[in-house]
Amino acid sequence: MSDDVILRVSDLSTRFFTTDGQINAVESLSLEIEEGEVFGIVGESGSGKSVTARSLIRLIESPGRITSGTIEYRDADLADDLREDHPGAVDGEFVDLLAIPEKIHRGLRGTSFSMIFQDPESSFNPSLTVGEQIAEAVEVQRRASSNPRSTRARTRSSEYSLRSYAAAAVLPSRGYVSSESKDRAIELLQQVGIPDPEQRVDEYPHEYSGGMLQRAMVAQALAGEPDVLVADEPTTALDVTIQAQVLDILRDLQEETGMTILLITHNLGVIARMCDRVGVMYAGEIVERGSLGDIFDRPTHPYTQGLLGSIPDLDAAGGRLQPIGGNVPSLLDAEMGDRCYFADRCPKAMEECLEKPAEYPAEGTDDHAAQCYLADHPYEASQALPEDYFEESEPP
Amino acid sequence: MNWQRVWRSLRAEFGRSPMAKLGVVLILAVFLMAIFAPFLATTNPKAQDLSRANEPPVGFTDTTEDTRLVDGERQTVTVTTRGTLEYPLGTNQLGQDMYSRLLYGARTSLLVGLLGTAIAALAGVSVGIVAGYYGGRVDDGLMRFADVMLAFPALVLAIALIGLLGPQPVDIPDPFVAAGLVSDMPETTVLPVTVTLVVALVNWVWFARVARGEALSVREKNYVKASRSLGASDWRLMLKHVLPNSLTPILVLATVQVAVIILLESALSFLGFSGTTLSWGFDISQGRDLLATSWWISTMPGLAIVVTVIGINLVGDWLRDALDPDIEGESGGGMG
Repeated sequence: MSDDVILRVSDLSTRFFTTDGQINAVESLSLEIEEGEVFGIVGESGSGKSVTARSLIRLIESPGRITSGTIEYRDADLADDLREDHPGAVDGEFVDLLAIPEKIHRGLRGTSFSMIFQDPESSFNPSLTVGEQIAEAVEVQRRASSNPRSTRARTRSSEYSLRSYAAAAVLPSRGYVSSESKDRAIELLQQVGIPDPEQRVDEYPHEYSGGMLQRAMVAQALAGEPDVLVADEPTTALDVTIQAQVLDILRDLQEETGMTILLITHNLGVIARMCDRVGVMYAGEIVERGSLGDIFDRPTHPYTQGLLGSIPDLDAAGGRLQPIGGNVPSLLDAEMGDRCYFADRCPKAMEECLEKPAEYPAEGTDDHAAQCYLADHPYEASQALPEDYFEESEPP
Repeated sequence: MNWQRVWRSLRAEFGRSPMAKLGVVLILAVFLMAIFAPFLATTNPKAQDLSRANEPPVGFTDTTEDTRLVDGERQTVTVTTRGTLEYPLGTNQLGQDMYSRLLYGARTSLLVGLLGTAIAALAGVSVGIVAGYYGGRVDDGLMRFADVMLAFPALVLAIALIGLLGPQPVDIPDPFVAAGLVSDMPETTVLPVTVTLVVALVNWVWFARVARGEALSVREKNYVKASRSLGASDWRLMLKHVLPNSLTPILVLATVQVAVIILLESALSFLGFSGTTLSWGFDISQGRDLLATSWWISTMPGLAIVVTVIGINLVGDWLRDALDPDIEGESGGGMG
């Protein structure tokens, strides 16, 4: 954990202020992602994975808000540029992405980080061809690189005038800003393995299959040659063979370009196939982190153990799967209290678990840590909470 | 919009619906009448011939009593006038040819209808897309303003504004006359600017509301978020992603609004606010006093308005059924 950290998140909290009350979707989350690695975040539905991903790109919309924390991104050039105007946002080579103005942040999207969304069918505009939408991302990147900082929008004003926007919106023939961006779109489609890209580039999203759309979305996200790619459930909507193809493409591209991938999924198989390091997320917190081996071979947190226990094992015949009882807790602030959030589903809950556990280092690599009392203390059956403890204490 | 697909569904619906065909025929006829009015007109619509006043349409006879001096004595005689082919739809009290006036009136109605709708759509859609896209306080501010506009009765607001601004007629030269293809026809068509602006001003709110509703739903779509995650600006998102995907209901609304605006223009002309005398509404008001004796003066322009508005509405239904299957109209709703 030194020079090669590219993204350092500390104490990130994202809340949603709904009419039902405050929802703590992400709660004091801290993590460090190293350059060139694939970091996986795994957890059940509703554990705050996607909100974490969106927080990183500052795509949280009302009623949601990032209420605290910093997301520091290492970019020496950017830090130099911002040091004068935004001294509060710069720390050495790191820039706090939450402290810079939206306008500067927008310039980083696509080129410094981009995102793959989980539902390919709805992630393409049905009224533009796939090629135009990839070319759009190419244009955004070209504009950013032609003049890296704030004046970037002015430099190519003839190409980006209101007139060309309006013409492109109305006239089908004006879809591409330039032929270079179309060529680049074809190249990107080729890269992600779309057959016959010269023809496919001019087709509409409804003419693509789901797997092809997902690949096209990878192409779109890669158009800006991002340093960090956030992939939010990139394979969930796909069938298994296509899943494998898309993952292979991601893996190959990652090895080719050396970009960093933050992979978000609920699928432990995907994690095992792709990731170098893993964070296990539960109720808005990372409850256990470590290398792939730490998490799979030496799971420390009972939740991680439960997740692994619920996967069928082909070698160990017989024996029933061990599902985790209960559901992910509601993230309503009023109902969360100040205990270990997993205690009500934990088979080893003890009296100590009624207080917020600290993060303890765990056996394995230096990175391995778990937010659980048991990581540092032995289990004592005498102090176990009665099984119906939470049923009684919870309001009807 | 995906124009290929739009075109396909329009064609399919056109083939299915006899009403759509009727609507297109009516609208086409009105448009051709308006455009080629100088060729189709038989007399200059402004030329007066007081000796031929109040003649009935061809095929009708009109009987009036007149007092005349016959051999130095006053006598009441019954005069029977037959409609002639020279004035196929009769004449008004100034002896002007109703048929020619009808053709030229179509020009005024369509000019105001189309231009007014275009201005209303431009203003309304801009406001609506911005309000829907940004949401929150921007949305509240813009839409409450729109609601206030809606609270005024359209006609009262229009009359007040015309009173304030005056009619401001602008003469548009007739290209056919200017090219010397026809003579003895009016050299200009009058565009009543104030009326055009006023009808747009009282109707933009509808566009704003529809556009806002669409923008609200489209901005939640994943492709907008995806595009934003790639660094697209608000401007780009609104023009490239939100607007094109909101266009269908706006297009349907625009057709219907043309009819609404033509009606409003006629009402304003009827009340004498338009600034042009070549207008269906104005002709109706001219014939109002003579309704008992010379019914055709009001009836003919009235029929023209009815036919035009029905035609536009049929075309609007066609567009709606073809482009927006979610909205069911009378024709699609069935009896269930």
